[in-house]
Amino acid sequence: MILREPGSQLDPRVRRLWALEWGLAALGAAVVTTAIAVPIELADNRVAAVVVALVGGAVTLVGIGLALLQPRLLYRRFRYEITELGLYVARGSLWRRWQVVPHARIQTVDTKRGPLERAVGLVSVAVTTASAKGGTDIPGLDPRVADALVEELAHRAGIDEGT
Amino acid sequence: MSEPSSEPPGRLHPLAILVFARKRIGASILPILVVAFTWRGGFALPVLGVLVAVGLSILVLEWRRFTYRIEAGRLVIERGVIRHTTRVVPLDRIRGVDLQAPWLHRVLGLVQVEVEAAAGGSSAAELSLPAVSAPEGDRLRTVLLSAGLKEAATGEPRPDLVLYRATPRLLVAGGLTSGRYILTPLVALGVIANFADDLPGAFGERLLSEAADRVPTEVLGVTALIVVGVLIALVLAAAGSLLTDWNFELADDGDRLVAHRGLLTRRAVAIDRSRVRGFDLLDSPLRRVFGLVGMRVVAGGVAGGRSGRTALAPVIANGDARVLARALDPLAALDATLEAHPRAALSRRLARAVVVPAVSGVVALALQWWLPAAALFVLALAGVPLGIDRYRQLGHRFDGRRLAVREGSLSRRWTSLDPRAVVSYAIQRSPFQARSGLRTIVLHLGQGAGSRRVLDCSEEQATALLVALDVPLFAPFALAKEAAYPLSA
Repeated sequence: MILREPGSQLDPRVRRLWALEWGLAALGAAVVTTAIAVPIELADNRVAAVVVALVGGAVTLVGIGLALLQPRLLYRRFRYEITELGLYVARGSLWRRWQVVPHARIQTVDTKRGPLERAVGLVSVAVTTASAKGGTDIPGLDPRVADALVEELAHRAGIDEGT
Repeated sequence: MSEPSSEPPGRLHPLAILVFARKRIGASILPILVVAFTWRGGFALPVLGVLVAVGLSILVLEWRRFTYRIEAGRLVIERGVIRHTTRVVPLDRIRGVDLQAPWLHRVLGLVQVEVEAAAGGSSAAELSLPAVSAPEGDRLRTVLLSAGLKEAATGEPRPDLVLYRATPRLLVAGGLTSGRYILTPLVALGVIANFADDLPGAFGERLLSEAADRVPTEVLGVTALIVVGVLIALVLAAAGSLLTDWNFELADDGDRLVAHRGLLTRRAVAIDRSRVRGFDLLDSPLRRVFGLVGMRVVAGGVAGGRSGRTALAPVIANGDARVLARALDPLAALDATLEAHPRAALSRRLARAVVVPAVSGVVALALQWWLPAAALFVLALAGVPLGIDRYRQLGHRFDGRRLAVREGSLSRRWTSLDPRAVVSYAIQRSPFQARSGLRTIVLHLGQGAGSRRVLDCSEEQATALLVALDVPLFAPFALAKEAAYPLSA
């Protein structure tokens, strides 16, 4: 006996959202590296400047690499499904985690829209339980899908409207 | 509730002013003393006098403004000299009341009351009455807890039933066999050595070289030194255990389990019986030899994150632990024959115990750090039996009502768990586990009880266990193995 994978996939646009996030992180790393390395170079400390530039450059490159690779990989491997009794979410490729939260144990259902998510036109849904680590979230859903999901979860969990 | 709603507001004990003073002054007493004794000017004393007078009046004001009352099924605490705050907690949200008596409180005959209340989300809010008289503390505990549990019991209170009492002998045995108490003196020694470095005049170094001069060099002397060192460590370990758990007593008053303990600071913890969801039995190889275990409760709302609150018995004989557990949960799974985990888990345990120190040892060799390298290789060698035992201890069994899980070797834990405690289920798989087909199940428990895991079982076992724990929930997700990979055939 093994567990089957959950059925639904995220909205494909979530790949753009994740790429954007990693891209911004890489950009941030590049800016910080420049802001540190240039004054050091101007202060005639060539060796320190090169070290900073190399480390910062490596971090930036990793960020760019993740921006290119991670969204596709994660999108393919992120699945969720809602059944009569529970919410089933599977995520991650190297480190993978299958999680089931019974509706009866759900305390709150929230939707979140950060600035980046708004730019891409997506919503994420978060579910909390009485255990701080027992909750889960589903990022990158179309607003209409998210609304339906929240309504169904709240209904099944017995939470009143207006959460 | 029969409580009159117009109860006059309660005040802290007047001696609470001393407690406030100690809390406020605490860290700043040193600079004040230094100023007082080093300032040669004539006006140091008057300035100090004014400061004391101002401070004292603030403290008195603080005491005057601190009131609490129980009205209309709520606990209301008002406080604050400059910024006034009011906190209101409905009594039925109160999860636990913890009475503590640090040394100053004990001297003055006071207790500190800490009230744990369920907050909206996952965390527990805490309210504190810093100092009330001991009888008032007992009264508050009864009133605050009885409301949340059920109608206030009328008539004679049932005499408490003592379930466990720690004898000094047990505690000494517990201290000597516990890794925690054996290691504590070493840590303390390390801290002292650190401070000694900062002492003026290279005090630490002089002491060390002096000591080194006197260290006996012949075999007999060295042996004597080691024996003395070990003896001191053992005495300190026994003392540590006696100090924290002195006269540990677990009583059942019908609705709650109440544990009292401690020599200098006497602490009381109440655990709502209806929230008990299981037990952890903890031991070490040394404790196994003597047939001793430590026992903790798995229960919601005890704020288990803080150490010691969940202890039911710091040290208890194996057989007595079973009797105690059965008294609290007749279905407790404590003697089940566990289902072993796949052989692949052995390689993982061995890898963890051996490979890490071995690789570090090779690195140390490459860097020509001979001594650390030797120590690391010894550690790697010791990792072989350790890894094997860690594998042999792995196991789980669900009998339809209680789940039994065991893991660990040097610090082994047997958990008996009521599946009703589970708030969410997860299966995890690392890249290493993927290669050997292993999974780890994590069961999240609510309300501060943390989580328990089933480490390195097979994928089949993981699915079977989850399905057994909650058939209707998991049945839609479970597949016969062949059907899962229709394309790979």
